[in-house]
Amino acid sequence: MKKTLAIALALLMCFSLFAQGAGEATTEKKATKIGFVVIGSENDQGYTYNFMNGMNAAIDKLKADGYDVELSVKRDIGEDAGCVDANLALAAEGCEIIFNNSYGFEQYMQQAADEFPKVQFVSLTNCGSQVDGRDNTYNAFAAIYEGRYIAGVAAGMKLQQLIDEGKIKADQAVIGYVGAFSFAEVVSGMTAYYLGARSVCPSATMLVQFVGSWSDPTLEAEAAKALIDKGAVMISQHSDNTTPATTAQERGVFHTGYNNDMTGVAPKASLLSCRIDWTNYFYTFIANYINGVQNPSDYCGEMSRGEVVVTELNTAIAAPGTKEAMDKAAAAIADGSLHVFDTSKFTIKGAAPTNEAMYDSFAAVQGNATYDGYFHESSLQSAPYFVGQIDGITWLNAAF
Amino acid sequence: MEEAKKTPLIRLSKRDAMDPKKVWAIRIGSILVALIIGCIPILITGNNPFKAYVVIIKGSLGTSFYFKQTIKNAIPLLGCALAIAPCFKMRFWNIGGEGQITAGAIFASFFAINFASKLPHVPLLLVMCLAAAIGGAIWAAIPGFFKAKYNTNETLFTLMMNYIAIGIISWLQGGPWEGRPGTQQIPLFDKNAVLPTVFGIHIGWIIVLVLVVLMHIYMNYTKQGYEIAVIGDSYNTARYAGMNVGWVMVRTMLVSGAICGVVGFILVSGQNKTITANVANGVGFTAITVAWLGHLNAFAMIIISFILAILTVGSSYLQQVLGVPSAISEIVSGILLFCMLGCEFFINYQMTFRSKVKKEVKA
Repeated sequence: MKKTLAIALALLMCFSLFAQGAGEATTEKKATKIGFVVIGSENDQGYTYNFMNGMNAAIDKLKADGYDVELSVKRDIGEDAGCVDANLALAAEGCEIIFNNSYGFEQYMQQAADEFPKVQFVSLTNCGSQVDGRDNTYNAFAAIYEGRYIAGVAAGMKLQQLIDEGKIKADQAVIGYVGAFSFAEVVSGMTAYYLGARSVCPSATMLVQFVGSWSDPTLEAEAAKALIDKGAVMISQHSDNTTPATTAQERGVFHTGYNNDMTGVAPKASLLSCRIDWTNYFYTFIANYINGVQNPSDYCGEMSRGEVVVTELNTAIAAPGTKEAMDKAAAAIADGSLHVFDTSKFTIKGAAPTNEAMYDSFAAVQGNATYDGYFHESSLQSAPYFVGQIDGITWLNAAF
Repeated sequence: MEEAKKTPLIRLSKRDAMDPKKVWAIRIGSILVALIIGCIPILITGNNPFKAYVVIIKGSLGTSFYFKQTIKNAIPLLGCALAIAPCFKMRFWNIGGEGQITAGAIFASFFAINFASKLPHVPLLLVMCLAAAIGGAIWAAIPGFFKAKYNTNETLFTLMMNYIAIGIISWLQGGPWEGRPGTQQIPLFDKNAVLPTVFGIHIGWIIVLVLVVLMHIYMNYTKQGYEIAVIGDSYNTARYAGMNVGWVMVRTMLVSGAICGVVGFILVSGQNKTITANVANGVGFTAITVAWLGHLNAFAMIIISFILAILTVGSSYLQQVLGVPSAISEIVSGILLFCMLGCEFFINYQMTFRSKVKKEVKA
């Protein structure tokens, strides 16, 4: 009995060591709490990394401007009921705005939005807010096709340089594109990229290989290899990993990337990358909310406002004059004299493109985006809806 | 001299039945020991362990919202533990709860997706529930049959069946059931196919509580339950007693799989409101711990599943509030489970140290 008592006392003592300070958990603060549900974490060096950089920069800027905000992040959340729980938990914790960074989160986020009608829920990259009948849901994306076009210009300059130097013949200016799925977001981006390249290298053609996954380093590398075997001398990608860049370098061809700068892993191949910079959106949305200004239910970022950016050009391998050509195109896009999807610049099955042939019939918002001589991408809803299969781009497969 | 050399430092021997008070003292003690060991990983992250434990409790029971989350978390655990308990009683190691839940979820989803607008609410839910039970039962009966007929290894067989079921969903969500092409996502079910709520929680909690009572009766007061117990104690005794052991195995797996299937139905219709490849989300494995810690007693499993749910929901809150990585919370949960399971060893066995042995010999 004595022994038992001694053990019990010893255990009690262990606990009392840590008991101090347990009570002072809550100190009264009136900060606006911001929640962020993310599919990966800062460490993925790709998708979520880019979002977290934007969010952290926005929070720092808000604090510097005197806003009292506090960020709470739920990391590594799956596209399932766990996403509902993550949103609910953040709302229960007192978050007034909750951002979700993956397309697949939206339908789960909406369930939480029904339970917390006073909390603002933002589904980044998706498109349901305009049609879901809820007042507290929002979407945002950016005109990434503008960034793709500029990246395409850099790629086209390189291809033209190879032709001019006699390294390849004009009909060998083949671009290989590693796509995730035959999904509007991918098709829109790759078409813009191709049109950018063709604007400076008229003989350029493009082959597309879809891998059927947003993130699979091995499949992405294999797709890049297959494209190079079919004659591609320039690789680009819409997938999360850097393996297409490293494959391009191994095989001695060039590359442009997405989401983050890949010149570090493939300095001899990667020219630049384009990405969305979310800082401005996060900052504006949160500041508007605190100031009582209504936020738009759907927002599309633009290159002219710094929301679509290209990473620094790898001048060691870029063709001479690339920077100037990119700046010229960017300025023309900004002043409205250049439209990426100018319908006089491309054809579909040999004919002038129609709205029907270009508009994604699965997009949440439907309508006519083809007028004034160009296709108005990301104007009816921020998430891309261009799905036209234009002449000059050959799909090697399709993966829905 | 030689005698003493041969005696090991610690000798183990089976104990006689212990005083129940002492048994509970050991069990509670083991939890306290686990909590103390658990302080180490928390201290490494630079947090106050006591505060962390308070946060876990606050984040799982502190408000009605967290309490509901905890209950929601406990429902599938309890349901699946009930399902596998008769198998374990029979010493048939069904570790395929995961696959049986998934199979049930697929069968239920088929009706939710295709018949939501064709059937009224209650009949639709009943059809989904029945279909799920059949789906789970088929998934469980296959390894049951092979074990009974060809004496295959049920552990491996049930485990492999898990991956097949999960693979089928992966195919469905990128294929026939995919919503918008390219999204790899099955849309949410129609409201018609979603379980109603009682006290703010889907009625899955009532279903599993009813199952607790039914399972308790089945295991303790029916002929079938008795047969299971006899086979578990001694396969040969059961055979000499004239039982058709093979059939009892298949029958028990049918019951087990059907209950897992119903859990799958609760998960898709009540919790997820759609189906994803990780619908079972490890429940089939964690339920083994629940069943074991509950000594296969249906009522004890309520408490155990609740404790595990507190840990899961509380740790998620811990991560959010103190920034403790979720891996650390998992380590603490692991230590707790290890100690809780490990203490059963000290209840059943006695440790005798060498010095004591010597004394006994002299006396």
